[in-house]
Amino acid sequence: MRKSSAASSPVGRRQFLALSTAGLAAAGLPRAARAQAKRSGELVAGLSERMLTLDPANHYSISSTSVHRHMFDPLVDVTNDSKFVPALAESWRAVNNLTWRFNLRKNVTFHDGTPFNADSVVFTLRRVKENTKLIKSFVYQDLESVEKDGDYSVVITSRRPFGSLPAHLTMLGMLPPGAGKNEDAFFQKPIGTGPFRFVSWTHGDNIVLSANPSYWKPAQPKVEKLTFRFIPELSTRAAALRAGEIHVIDRVTPDLVETLKGSRGVKVFDVPAVEAQRWIFQLAKEPVKDQRLRQAISLAIDRNVIIKELLLGYGRPVDSPVPPGLIGHTSLPAKAYDPEKAKQILKQAGYKDVSIDFVLMKDFYPKQLEITQAVAAMLGEVGIKVNIKNLEIATAREQRSAGTYDMFYSGWAHMPHDPDWYFGQWFTKAGSEKLTRYNNPRVEQLIAEGRVPDPKVRQAKYEELERILWDEEPEIWLCYTVAIYGVSDRLRNFEPRRDYYVLLSDVAIA
Amino acid sequence: MKAYVLRRLWQSALTLVGVSVLVFVILRVVPGDPAKMLLPDGAPQSAVDELNRQLGLHEPLHVQYAIFVRSVFRGDFGQSFQYRAPALQVVVERLGATVQLALAALVITVGVGVSLGIVAAVRHGTGYDYASTVLAVLGQSLPNFWLGIMLILLFGVALRWLPTSGFESWRHLILPAVTLAAFPMALVARLTRSSMLEILGRDFIRTGRAKGLAERAVILRHVLRNAAVPLLTVLGLQIGTLLGGAVITESVFAWPGMGKLVVDAIFFRDFPVVQTVLILSATIFVLINLLVDLLYTVIDPRIRYS
Repeated sequence: MRKSSAASSPVGRRQFLALSTAGLAAAGLPRAARAQAKRSGELVAGLSERMLTLDPANHYSISSTSVHRHMFDPLVDVTNDSKFVPALAESWRAVNNLTWRFNLRKNVTFHDGTPFNADSVVFTLRRVKENTKLIKSFVYQDLESVEKDGDYSVVITSRRPFGSLPAHLTMLGMLPPGAGKNEDAFFQKPIGTGPFRFVSWTHGDNIVLSANPSYWKPAQPKVEKLTFRFIPELSTRAAALRAGEIHVIDRVTPDLVETLKGSRGVKVFDVPAVEAQRWIFQLAKEPVKDQRLRQAISLAIDRNVIIKELLLGYGRPVDSPVPPGLIGHTSLPAKAYDPEKAKQILKQAGYKDVSIDFVLMKDFYPKQLEITQAVAAMLGEVGIKVNIKNLEIATAREQRSAGTYDMFYSGWAHMPHDPDWYFGQWFTKAGSEKLTRYNNPRVEQLIAEGRVPDPKVRQAKYEELERILWDEEPEIWLCYTVAIYGVSDRLRNFEPRRDYYVLLSDVAIA
Repeated sequence: MKAYVLRRLWQSALTLVGVSVLVFVILRVVPGDPAKMLLPDGAPQSAVDELNRQLGLHEPLHVQYAIFVRSVFRGDFGQSFQYRAPALQVVVERLGATVQLALAALVITVGVGVSLGIVAAVRHGTGYDYASTVLAVLGQSLPNFWLGIMLILLFGVALRWLPTSGFESWRHLILPAVTLAAFPMALVARLTRSSMLEILGRDFIRTGRAKGLAERAVILRHVLRNAAVPLLTVLGLQIGTLLGGAVITESVFAWPGMGKLVVDAIFFRDFPVVQTVLILSATIFVLINLLVDLLYTVIDPRIRYS
């Protein structure tokens, strides 16, 4: 196993001298300042997904984002209640519908001491737009230009309104322009402006980071060393937490909660996620293209029973296509459970012996097979036969592209805390072309109009469009997912994130 | 003998070419689109098409194969789609963990398996025999996944004697190696027992004892050596399984080996990684088989190849 390591050797003579000087300097500081910089201990987190890359522009993996956020800072941060707050950008505003201006934080340096400034932002953004090999590139194709205006301002223009740009920027770590000289070498030992520095990465097993003593938020980080271990198997992740080897785990399933709660030294945190479980229909195909049939299906499903019995209460009833907290969320009437009415609709519409294919991506969502079986039984009660097709993921997605399904089990995590991606993907003609074949010109127009930067306009457009969707039932919204974390009781200040990130810069260990 | 080895090597080369063609074609005809698996679910079709073009998947199949073969002769197995790094490098990084685990499991398999088998055969019909049979049946019937989790819960969580998972020190190796060895160990124990029992009844063993050989010498030098040929065949095959079939053990113990890598790669349609792993393991498998065939002549001088 090869380790890429930036600091594998023990402290050398020179570093020792530098460290002791730093120590002496610290001894001279006033007490308050020293208290601020106090750091101790080591934190270990167990993540569900293996990190594939150290390049923040080349993945949409949530585990990787968790790791990268500790090494790289984005321009904008997002809080747990979906508010966008300054990170490397101190402020930003929309100059007009096609232009954003970001004012940058001063006196920030990368881990090697080079200053962070407009050149970094210009480099990072132009790179992600121009290098179409990068996984995040497609999101930035609408950018027209990225220009600096002085050393600490950047002006970004786009071909069409890009109101969700600040949200997308929360997922893009800023790189030093020097990274461009030899990207392969840079991403072996990357540097960012983040609270931790890269130390080593044992592929498939763990990544080790050490505190950045000159981080621009002086009170962070709280620990000297941070290790992320990649443990995809949940029972193993939980065992490592219970054995005290690691301090936090993500993606806990409801059926494991009691075990964890019963373990000494372990606490369980949960929070409604920015994710909805929703099942799509093939809207160009008989019989589910008929809105009446979809309505009957929706009425025949007892969502509360599924939440209570199968998700053990770890789900929240839906009141909108978009979870609460995000821009555009509006509270709509709950989805009723009324099998009698469902039967009536089916009878009136002349449906007899309807049979539909429900496709699942094997093992993709917790409890999905049990939930689908329950739904099949519920739909059976009103006379709809469900054929469950539990297929390997790539095969299932091929069927979705080909349109050879009636219902498809899916979820949507509203990354990056903005619904534009969801709407654009699933409810525009171009976006849904190889997915659901949704087509409603009015909705398409509202989505386009909702792309502007003005939050008031966005809210209004999205409210109208959500009402249309709620009536059309182009998907079945089952519930909002709940994110569950297992955490050692030695951790202080841990915040369970609604976006599944594991963020530990502000977490201390007792 | 030399001619035999050369002939076998030539056959092995043909086998590997066959494997490479099969793997290449099968990967590309099964449904599933690599770009769609790499991009977030529901990325626009234009992005999917662009990424597939970047990955070289828009070329016709025979052109892709020609490019692949040409690169392989230069030692280049292509770039992993998922890791964006040379596939060979990605695989070789994992090879160390796989070999470590396989060797440790092999030591347990041979050490414990053969000993159990000997004891059971020598003490045929006694409590020792029954105990070793029970162990062997358990080893072969307990699912790897369950056994691994139970070992973790017992030795990692309850007793805290060993780490639950991970890839750091020799202590991390114990539980996965035991889990992985359970099945082949049981197999070897049963096989050793039955082939030893068969040999024990032969005339030459009676002769050996009659001429006053120590029992120890009879068992180890005469019985075991004669029982070793079928054992060697099975071990040869088991090494292949240990190297390639550790997927479940690797998953349970978060062991960064090749098994889990290739399953993920198949899952995500990371063609270059799948190709590299399969060609590499086919090579290892073919070589081990050749080695086993040659070892027969050492163990049993009556076997000769011409």
